[in-house]
Amino acid sequence: MDFSWTQKQIEFKKEVIDFAKTNLGTTYIEEDYNCKFSKKDWKACADFGLLGLSVPKKYSNQKEEVDVLSAILAMEALGYGCKDNGLPFAMNAQMWTVQTPIAHFGTEAQKDKFLPKLTSGEWIASHALTEPEAGSDVFSMQTTATKTDGGYILNGKKHLITLGPICDFALVFAVTNPKVGKWGLSVFLVEKGTEGFTVSPNKAKMGLRTVPIGDLTFTDCFVKEENRLGAEGAGWSITNHSLELDRCSVHASQVGAMERQLEQSITYVKKRKQFGKSVGRFQSVSNRIADMKLRLETSKLLLYKVAWLKSQGKPAMLEGAMLKLQISENFVNSSIDAIRNHGGYGYLVENEVERDLRDAVGGVIYAGTSDIQRNIISQIIGL
Amino acid sequence: MQEKIIKYIEELSSEEIDESIEATEDLLGSGILDSLGMMKLIAFLEEEFCCKVLPEEMVIENFMTVLHITDYLETKLVEKQ
Ligand SMILES: Cc1cc2nc3c(=O)[nH]c(=O)nc-3n(C[C@H](O)[C@H](O)[C@H](O)COP(=O)(O)OP(=O)(O)OC[C@H]3O[C@@H](n4cnc5c(N)ncnc54)[C@H](O)[C@@H]3O)c2cc1C
Repeated sequence: MDFSWTQKQIEFKKEVIDFAKTNLGTTYIEEDYNCKFSKKDWKACADFGLLGLSVPKKYSNQKEEVDVLSAILAMEALGYGCKDNGLPFAMNAQMWTVQTPIAHFGTEAQKDKFLPKLTSGEWIASHALTEPEAGSDVFSMQTTATKTDGGYILNGKKHLITLGPICDFALVFAVTNPKVGKWGLSVFLVEKGTEGFTVSPNKAKMGLRTVPIGDLTFTDCFVKEENRLGAEGAGWSITNHSLELDRCSVHASQVGAMERQLEQSITYVKKRKQFGKSVGRFQSVSNRIADMKLRLETSKLLLYKVAWLKSQGKPAMLEGAMLKLQISENFVNSSIDAIRNHGGYGYLVENEVERDLRDAVGGVIYAGTSDIQRNIISQIIGL
Repeated sequence: MQEKIIKYIEELSSEEIDESIEATEDLLGSGILDSLGMMKLIAFLEEEFCCKVLPEEMVIENFMTVLHITDYLETKLVEKQ
């Protein structure tokens, strides 16, 4: 067993942190308040090469192929260096649930058309699975794609779609053959401007407010056959394909944020004096700091284990579910502790402590709620 | 091969089904296996038969019934030799 990172990986992590600290926003109070997406930050991350980490270098501006472990470490570094949790969350959504499926299941023409535009930040894309009546039970979806001359007619509505309101195209799941249940799902790349495809405005949210999220509606929307991703019926496989990598990467950013949060808390409780001494001297406060450290380390252990399994090409169903459950819940708990440590200062929006908590709550819902992760874990271990 | 696969599926879904399953029964479509069960079955096949099921091969033509699975695995194992 070897827990160490290579020198090159450590340097890469440092480079990403330096990039984030110098090139991304120094504050996100206004963007958070006004639910504003920063295209400038998105583009900066693309130019640095971060969006390209999930696909072969042929489709990105990476100088060399980046291994899975380094990619995950880079996303952890971004979560640490970037004060906004929304940006890494949205980037990960596009990287692993749009780019990776296209890189794997796409035709050469699809890869050439879509991937360079996504990794360069020119285009933005969303992954549309959830529907108003199909959330956790996502395979009960009702959006249909009916075969017609030269393509398919899509009808239905997708719900809670990250980047949906500003997407240049959406990767959409629809039922092509209802008779065969889960085998009857197919995936389509539906481009903005296609007749019958509309997106809702951005919806106001509790957290992750810098990320536009909304609905997509398809009304007799004709999609050419060449825009089907993978074979007819490949939908089920596509949903599973990059799930574990997506979990790793999106929660890697939360791990980075937890590290930043812990350092901030330590600095504050040492500096803040009450009753003549640093509040960090009070055991109630130092216990919270110890708990935050423990959550961070257990999160890292699970994260690196899943990243390692994926780097070896191994399945990580159980570990992926444990990772998602543990890290997302840890981030919520540590975000509350960070506020407690900062007292009233932490409660004020202007100090950018409380935002982490609002952002963290989304993590126990998206990509399978904590309840669903518990179901998966207990089912895999034999219940 | 067929018996091993059926035995594994019966273990996986012992609470959902009372009778033994047939090699021609639709596994995912009829609810014998749910999505997670199918993923577990695929992991079992990879380990048991030392092969890698590629994501693009996880389609109805290869995995609808035990019969489809054995046909698919046999072709795959021949290709490997
Ligand atoms: C910030 C954010 C971003 C998102 N981005 C996307 C996206 O880009 N694309 C996309 O397709 N979707 C996206 N979603 C949707 C997300 O995947 C769903 O919200 C999630 O799967 C839960 O579905 P639901 O909201 O319908 O909740 P429901 O399924 O209605 O769940 C309600 C409650 O019931 C519980 N529950 C349901 N079934 C079970 C069960 N079997 N066992 C135990 N408890 C159960 C849930 O845990 C929850 O507590 C996003 C969601 C959020 C919050």
